[in-house]
Amino acid sequence: MTNLLHRLAPLAFTLARMLAQAAGIVVIVFLLARLIPGDAVDVKGLEGDLTAAQQVELRHQLGLDRPVVEQLAGWSWRLLNGDFGASIRFGRPVSAMLATALPTTLLFTALSFSFALLLALGVAVSAVTTGHRGLRGLVDVLNVWSIALPTFCVGVVGILVFSIWLGWLPVLGSMVLPVIIIGIDSAGLIVKPLHEELREAATSAHVRTARAKGLAPSRIALRHLLPTAVPVMLALSGLVLTSLVAGTLTMEVLFGLPGVGSLLLNAIHGRDYPVIQAAILVIAIALVIINAATDLLHRLIDPRMTS
Amino acid sequence: MSLALPSEAGESVRRGLSPRTVIAALVLAAIVALALAAPLVAPFDPLDQDLLALNQPPGPEHWLGTDHMGRDVFSRLAMGARTTLMVGFGGALVAFVLGAGFGLVALSLGRVAETVMFALIDLVRAMPDVLLALLLIVALGAGAQPVVIALGVAFAPFFAYVARATFHREAVKDYVTAARLFGGGKLHVLRLHLAPNLVGGLVTQAAILLPRCVVTESVLSFLGLGSSPDEPTWGRMVADASRYIETSPHVILAPVIAIILLTLSLSILGEAVRRHLDPLRAAGEATL
Amino acid sequence: MTAPLLSLRNLIISAGGRRLVDGVSLDLEAGRTLAVIGESGSGKSLTGLSLLGLLPDGLEVDPATRIAVDGRVLAPRDERGWRALRGRRIAMVFQDPMACLNPFMRVGEQIEETLRRAGIAAPAERRQRIVSGLAEVELPDPAALATRYPHQLSGGQQQRVMIAMALAGEPDLLVADEPTSALDASVQADIVALLARLQANRRLALLIITHDLAVAGALGHSIAVMQHGRIVETGPAAEVISRPRDPYTARLVGARRRLADVPAAQTMARPVAVTAEAVCVDYAARRLFGTSFRAVHGASLSLLAGRTVGLLGESGSGKSTLAATLAGLRAPSAGRIRLLGHVIEPGGRPLPGALRRRCQMVFQNPYGALNPRLTIGRALAEPLALAGVPASAQAARIVAGLHEVGLDADHAMRYPHQLSGGQRQRACIARALLCEPEVLICDEVISALDMTVKVQILDLLKRLQAERGFAMLFVGHDIEAVRWISDEVLVMHQGRIVERCRPEQLDLSAVRDPYTRRLLSARLMPEFDGAIVEKTGGEPRLHVATAADCLPAW
Repeated sequence: MTNLLHRLAPLAFTLARMLAQAAGIVVIVFLLARLIPGDAVDVKGLEGDLTAAQQVELRHQLGLDRPVVEQLAGWSWRLLNGDFGASIRFGRPVSAMLATALPTTLLFTALSFSFALLLALGVAVSAVTTGHRGLRGLVDVLNVWSIALPTFCVGVVGILVFSIWLGWLPVLGSMVLPVIIIGIDSAGLIVKPLHEELREAATSAHVRTARAKGLAPSRIALRHLLPTAVPVMLALSGLVLTSLVAGTLTMEVLFGLPGVGSLLLNAIHGRDYPVIQAAILVIAIALVIINAATDLLHRLIDPRMTS
Repeated sequence: MSLALPSEAGESVRRGLSPRTVIAALVLAAIVALALAAPLVAPFDPLDQDLLALNQPPGPEHWLGTDHMGRDVFSRLAMGARTTLMVGFGGALVAFVLGAGFGLVALSLGRVAETVMFALIDLVRAMPDVLLALLLIVALGAGAQPVVIALGVAFAPFFAYVARATFHREAVKDYVTAARLFGGGKLHVLRLHLAPNLVGGLVTQAAILLPRCVVTESVLSFLGLGSSPDEPTWGRMVADASRYIETSPHVILAPVIAIILLTLSLSILGEAVRRHLDPLRAAGEATL
Repeated sequence: MTAPLLSLRNLIISAGGRRLVDGVSLDLEAGRTLAVIGESGSGKSLTGLSLLGLLPDGLEVDPATRIAVDGRVLAPRDERGWRALRGRRIAMVFQDPMACLNPFMRVGEQIEETLRRAGIAAPAERRQRIVSGLAEVELPDPAALATRYPHQLSGGQQQRVMIAMALAGEPDLLVADEPTSALDASVQADIVALLARLQANRRLALLIITHDLAVAGALGHSIAVMQHGRIVETGPAAEVISRPRDPYTARLVGARRRLADVPAAQTMARPVAVTAEAVCVDYAARRLFGTSFRAVHGASLSLLAGRTVGLLGESGSGKSTLAATLAGLRAPSAGRIRLLGHVIEPGGRPLPGALRRRCQMVFQNPYGALNPRLTIGRALAEPLALAGVPASAQAARIVAGLHEVGLDADHAMRYPHQLSGGQRQRACIARALLCEPEVLICDEVISALDMTVKVQILDLLKRLQAERGFAMLFVGHDIEAVRWISDEVLVMHQGRIVERCRPEQLDLSAVRDPYTRRLLSARLMPEFDGAIVEKTGGEPRLHVATAADCLPAW
């Protein structure tokens, strides 16, 4: 019984932390939205189509005259039921707007994420296994690239070169260039720590043992080297996802992709608060869930963590 | 593009300053000088619109040409350097003060306070920094100040984490135990043993985060969320010019190149600082 | 005369122009054990690695070097050629088995890799060979053990798995690099005995690399002594140990021999400095749903001025926890400590600073005990400044303190990493003595040091105690060292003091506690005056503990 408790405790801890983080984000988003000078009704009022009496009536209708805690509770309850409210500007349900925008963003992030991970892993693994100077140099170049070159700047240069001067790609709507740009950027973020971890693993005692056993290099890489790097890889993929958020925003805007990033920015410029809140919540909570999932995956893969 | 490899640079830093570091320092100095002297060197008011000279190519009158509203690109670049540097560096400074201060207070209040206060930081960190900055800017309104605060809050956790990691790494060292046996109190241990490592760790972190702060500032102003429209910033210049990219690419290339030069030189210098303050090297543990 | 199994001629390895191995030549023959003995930095491990072509990158091997297996010459960096030999002709066992086993694979799978590599295609046969291999290294319930992960095994079991894995491919040569150094003393002897039996049964050529004269003496038919990358002496094991010719070997043997002669313990009639009465120490639970852990159970002892109590125990016995508690560094959970007149009780007042200074501690790792950012002079000034010694008077006292421990005034200007391990430990002792302590607690102070340096530090401590008259608690796991320096010996096991005796009584004929008997019978001692006979293969000169040894003496 206690044994089972010991095994489930970390699992429960991960899930509890995930829920706490999600709840924390809901509260932060709600409170920051309350900080904004003027509420939704003021915004509508500014557009001049509401009388003072109508404003009071609308406030009452929207529950904006009730205590903050009560509003938070009501808002959270509606969120749990998938009700994100309606857009102030367009009057459409926010959930419908998100549903239209999500596929583009999901496709874009999935492609960028896979490309980034494959690129980083490919460069790091081949640099470690071959020890080639050029590949080690590529690790550093990618790293500096990602630190020093903002994606939107690279995007601008990319558009100039590939769309305007060479004419290979359309300026707007194509996902090829943004995926490559974000992929390189995210790969650069993780390739250096990944390379260092792999290099350390390659000189570790148990890889030396595997070599002393006379195993083939491919088997050593697959069975002895890579598993050691899995925890780091999982931790780093969390980092990639975080950087993808910024990337999604800039790339969707620059390349005119109709995703959540564009939705969010349009909402910000139009002061469409329900949409802003919903978009930020969806992105942040998706990340919290993914991070919890990587944590659980780590526990599943590493036998030292289950007993 | 020729990027020297950081690993090689690191070895040459050990002997002295690498040429790469010197060039980066010169570029940064030039940008800072441009920002400081902007009102003197800018030939035009960055907001003056010359509707007779739209999208002019570079020439003797407008050194870097004019944008779609006939504003002098060089003047906007010079004035924009002020905002970009001020907001980027200001954000890093706020993050440093806020994060290190919060972390040190949490650590000095004992175990329970530390756990609770860092749980709070973890909560904030669950949001990606750009998203958090964006949310804060939406809440606080437009202008340079909200951006500085937003960057500060978004990046502060890194400094708190560094303070905590350094503290716990050092606090278990035998020489700290020995200091307690000599009758040394908390203050003595902090002053003689912890402070040098804490300062080193925090400065290194600042050097790493500074380029990230500048990049994030330019991303935010590119997204139209930075300072107000009448303050030129490099990110906003890129956004404004992106609609005319096909007809007048020079207008967009000027701020793009400026941003890249700034972030590149900052990150090269940051790497040099990091290697210089590397606790492993300072400790001579590499000799083991 | 056939060619030796493996012949190494003129091995020269250098890094950045510095020679790490400087012209080593060895021959290994089937059925013979060669022990290479040397202290840290002698180049013995690199020599071992070069026999499997496993030298780390970045080291240069001189072209004059010639390595031949069965008379066939192999280039040191010929990865393909070496790989064909590894696992099948030559196998290796390393120092730290926990780090050497892949934590992600069951131990059975890891042995299976070697079997598959050795060309055993049938899965059923591989399974059967895994079980028989684990049985050969005397592991209980081999079939069940094969399904475990490395972290589920004890250190001794892990090393047995490593040996089974190395032998699975039926190699002719086994290289064992410090195979027992990471293990507890009572396990060490078992592994040494196992290696001796396996070597004899399989007629292996065995190369054992060690820093321990006793291990070398127990296993080696012949011994090669290495210093500064060179072999300074080789010969039959008994001869090298009994009649060393080279001065360095003589020092090495002499150091060990000195510790074997126990000086007469002094009487215990002196004023009491510290008493502990039924002290218990708990560690709080670190995890949710965890339980607190009692590291020390009801320990009682007294330290007398000018006398030394030795606290002997293996890792995890609670001896260091007890030492830290006596120094007032952690509060006892039960019982009471009287330190120089001040009572330490659970929930009592903390030790006042002035009193704390009078009880000093010296730590295991002198590098961790010195702040790397401070020069030795500044490190030594720390206790003086805290004691309120004016800055003008500090320099003279620091120099005097350095002289007292055999260091020069010059050393004050250096940083810790510029000193050797022994010098660092001397500096730590000097720093502790600047507090004018009445109690000195030495926690494993010689464990990280080489044999010859160990004896110097022990001598120094004994001399300083005679001059200054402080009470000393000497914590250690090395029976010889603890017995040599102590006037009373306490043996600790699983948090309890299980045996207390005078040092000369620490012998199988006198002690009754079963654990202490196990510890004593597992002790490896070189036979200094063993008959010098050229041994033939398959006859290890090892005193293997029998069950009778572990029984009480009555």
